[in-house]
Amino acid sequence: MVSYIVKIKGGVNLRSGSSIKRSFNLWGMLSAFFAALIILPNVDLFGNLFVQPNENWYHIKTYLLKDYITNTLVIIGFTGVFTVLVGSGLAWLISAYDFPGRKIINWALILPLTIPTYIGAYTYNGILNYTGVVQRLLRNVLEVQVSPKWLDIMNIQGAIFIFAVFLFPYVYTVTRAFLSNQSASLIENARLLGKNSLEIFCQVVLPISRGAILGGMTLVIFEVLNDYGVVSYFGVQTFSTAIFKAWFSMGDIDTAVKLSGVLMTIVISVLLLERGLRGRKKYSYTTSKVRPIVRTRLRGLKGFWAFFVSFMFLSLGFIIPVLQLLVWSTLTYKKVLNIAFLKLLGNSVVVALVAALIILGVAVIIANFSRLQENWVGKLFSKVTLLGYSIPGAVISMGVILFFVDFDRKLEWFYKALNPNSITLVLSSSVVMLIFAYSVRFLAVGYQSIEAGFEKVGKKFFEASRILGNGVTKTFFRVDLPMIKPAVISAFALTFVDIVKELPLTLILRPYNFNTLATKTYEYATDEMIHEAAIPALLIILVSIASVYLLNKLGEKEGI
Amino acid sequence: MKKRRFAGMLAVLTLAGAVLTGCSATSSTTSVQTKSSSPQGEKTSQVVNIYSDRHYETDKLLLEEFSKETGVKVNVIEGKSDELIERLAREGKDSQADLLVTADVGRLHRAKEQGLLQSAESDTLSKNVPENLKDKDNQWYGLTVRARVLVYAKDRVDPSQLSTYEDLTDPKWNKKILVRGSDSIYNQSLLASFIAVNGEEKAKAWAKGIVDNMARTPKGSDRDQAKAVVAGEGDVAIMNTYYYGLLLNSSDSEEVKVAKQLGVFFPNQTTTGTHINVSGAGVTASAKNKENAIKLVEFLSSEKAQKQFSEANFEYPANPAVEPSDLLKSWGTFKPQTINLTKLGENNKNAVQIFSQVGWK
Repeated sequence: MVSYIVKIKGGVNLRSGSSIKRSFNLWGMLSAFFAALIILPNVDLFGNLFVQPNENWYHIKTYLLKDYITNTLVIIGFTGVFTVLVGSGLAWLISAYDFPGRKIINWALILPLTIPTYIGAYTYNGILNYTGVVQRLLRNVLEVQVSPKWLDIMNIQGAIFIFAVFLFPYVYTVTRAFLSNQSASLIENARLLGKNSLEIFCQVVLPISRGAILGGMTLVIFEVLNDYGVVSYFGVQTFSTAIFKAWFSMGDIDTAVKLSGVLMTIVISVLLLERGLRGRKKYSYTTSKVRPIVRTRLRGLKGFWAFFVSFMFLSLGFIIPVLQLLVWSTLTYKKVLNIAFLKLLGNSVVVALVAALIILGVAVIIANFSRLQENWVGKLFSKVTLLGYSIPGAVISMGVILFFVDFDRKLEWFYKALNPNSITLVLSSSVVMLIFAYSVRFLAVGYQSIEAGFEKVGKKFFEASRILGNGVTKTFFRVDLPMIKPAVISAFALTFVDIVKELPLTLILRPYNFNTLATKTYEYATDEMIHEAAIPALLIILVSIASVYLLNKLGEKEGI
Repeated sequence: MKKRRFAGMLAVLTLAGAVLTGCSATSSTTSVQTKSSSPQGEKTSQVVNIYSDRHYETDKLLLEEFSKETGVKVNVIEGKSDELIERLAREGKDSQADLLVTADVGRLHRAKEQGLLQSAESDTLSKNVPENLKDKDNQWYGLTVRARVLVYAKDRVDPSQLSTYEDLTDPKWNKKILVRGSDSIYNQSLLASFIAVNGEEKAKAWAKGIVDNMARTPKGSDRDQAKAVVAGEGDVAIMNTYYYGLLLNSSDSEEVKVAKQLGVFFPNQTTTGTHINVSGAGVTASAKNKENAIKLVEFLSSEKAQKQFSEANFEYPANPAVEPSDLLKSWGTFKPQTINLTKLGENNKNAVQIFSQVGWK
């Protein structure tokens, strides 16, 4: 496939050519259309930003905001550092070394993402609390009574731990996709020049994969900022506590939206700043011979340590909580499990599949447009993809409902023409609204991955193909798409897994009688029935494992 | 070739979309017939649509039974009450929802204030639901009752030391009180009831006193407070009877053991009564199937359904004609607060503000 691509030194500036603009229209138009679809449901929310603040706003500002912001910054700071170190470190270990168990661990390290963080929090507390397995063993078998404070996970450190062990795969996956067949020559040259692995990691790997790492970390930070389940259960007050306090406790959604607007503004300015700083530095393929790094074989003790370290993180983020869930499910499966679960399973898989495919399509189109259109329009579209991810899901859902209700009212004449008895809210009482909301919300997840893929490929091959007379679209399908395939695959895995476990949108936007595994899990968990919740939670995990495994098989075939 | 594959993928996508929308379109047309139900009600329609934040197995069984008995199909969206209310508000007059069911009276009141409910008159309901457990304009009816009680470590606390909620602020309980965070609606309603009973100033002093006596920063669920008592982090926890019932019937024997080490105490028996909250239901302002909705509420308040709530879901029946289950009775009978529950909704906002002023996390 790549054989006919000619390497061109120095690159050719094609941007000024007028023909490219014409053939580009389709990509630009589609991108603009998608961007508009993302922005429209949120317009109403933005409007709120400029409304005069009311007394609730001042109440929150006076009594709560300072502590909340401090806590939020502490959690984000530590979680960010941990996930980057663990995620990129493991990605480097897996990409550059061979050790016993590497093959399985390679794909298994994405598995912590399959566990919803709030279930992780409930599970770890279930392991460590008074009736948990640890204290029970100490008390009943060893007859030691330890102070409950020593094993207490319900605090800010505990929250950081939960986020770190369940979210590091965001950094891991994106970085690994980047390293997998990038940079082989750089790393091998560094090896030849006598650098040891720590030096290579710090001086070569971190700088060249900075974009990917930051992309992954962005996802982690958004995930943490949006979390309400973990922090409210652990009694840690964060910015999202303020948002939900305004809405749930004070019944004031305007203030809630205003608060999330403030949050979003801060986050996006930080991101822009970071992009600006990174701006000029770009690393992409220097050769058309795309091939994986030749992995160094680690033997003996070194091999054992490599295995041990990666296995430890896999255990913390996956094996230990899953074992606990399995034990709980043996207590309750007779009561809980029934044939209706097949329906839940089907619903979960179908909506996640459809939404993930839509997201992939949209992400690829916008990413391709924005990388080729290196101007403010491209940058703007690329930023718009983050929008849905930076606002709490529950708040977004309100924008989406309003958008669809409006839309339905405008189309009422059409529905009535088709069926005189038709109700007005056709789309907004269907699963279309839910899938739309998923797409808006999780576009960022797919986009980050695909953008990193494009970044890695660079534009040389695109330019070469264009010089050889291929159009933008033809070039995309024959040159770019095959080259970013690893990124597309990991984008799909990440979004699919995210959607299967998604809760707030599913809960509020679903049609009548539409249940998924995530809503079932929530049903039990919110009712403090974590043992019963184990069954649907395990099924979520099972579905996600199956998808990750299949995609990994697919990836192997493509030579990732 | 790639292109064709992409086109194929697109086709599949479109098809999937069409199928999905198609499905939902047909399912909504079935409920369309309901719209034709005339005000005279000569021919009642066969559907009722519910927004509910009660997601219990008992409810599901009862709804199934209702369908079987009456032939009315019940469609449900479950969610968190605040979000359901917001969805209802945004859908406005076009909403398909006929009935809003929540596990807390404050939320029903909020929906009423926003004009999302309507009055529903029914002789059966007037008979089944006592005056103080329903809205004064009949916009919502309480269906089940939960008491917010004290549980204590049997080995460390003599129940004769316990008396009232107010007594928990006494210095003798310093670092002994366990209670969850102020974002819990159950705590908000508790404080709202004190505002109604004792006035705002005393309520605030109470909240402050509890904060001073807390054994730890509030966290976790009601069940976690019970476990913390047994673990020795504190002596007395404030929790709902419902969650104590769940703990006692847990599938985990260790949790049952915890519950058995705890005693249940109904506070304020000689004064203002133990705080209660209700789950309830209100017919929506936009209801297209009002009669079915009322029929369903009547069914849920009937002796049969009430008995089931009490037996299977550890909730006290709202209907005075129905006795609580044996398990509930074993904790003792009690005198509840007698304020009209509307007050809990009215004072909710005030309660939330007091919590953050006194630093109840």
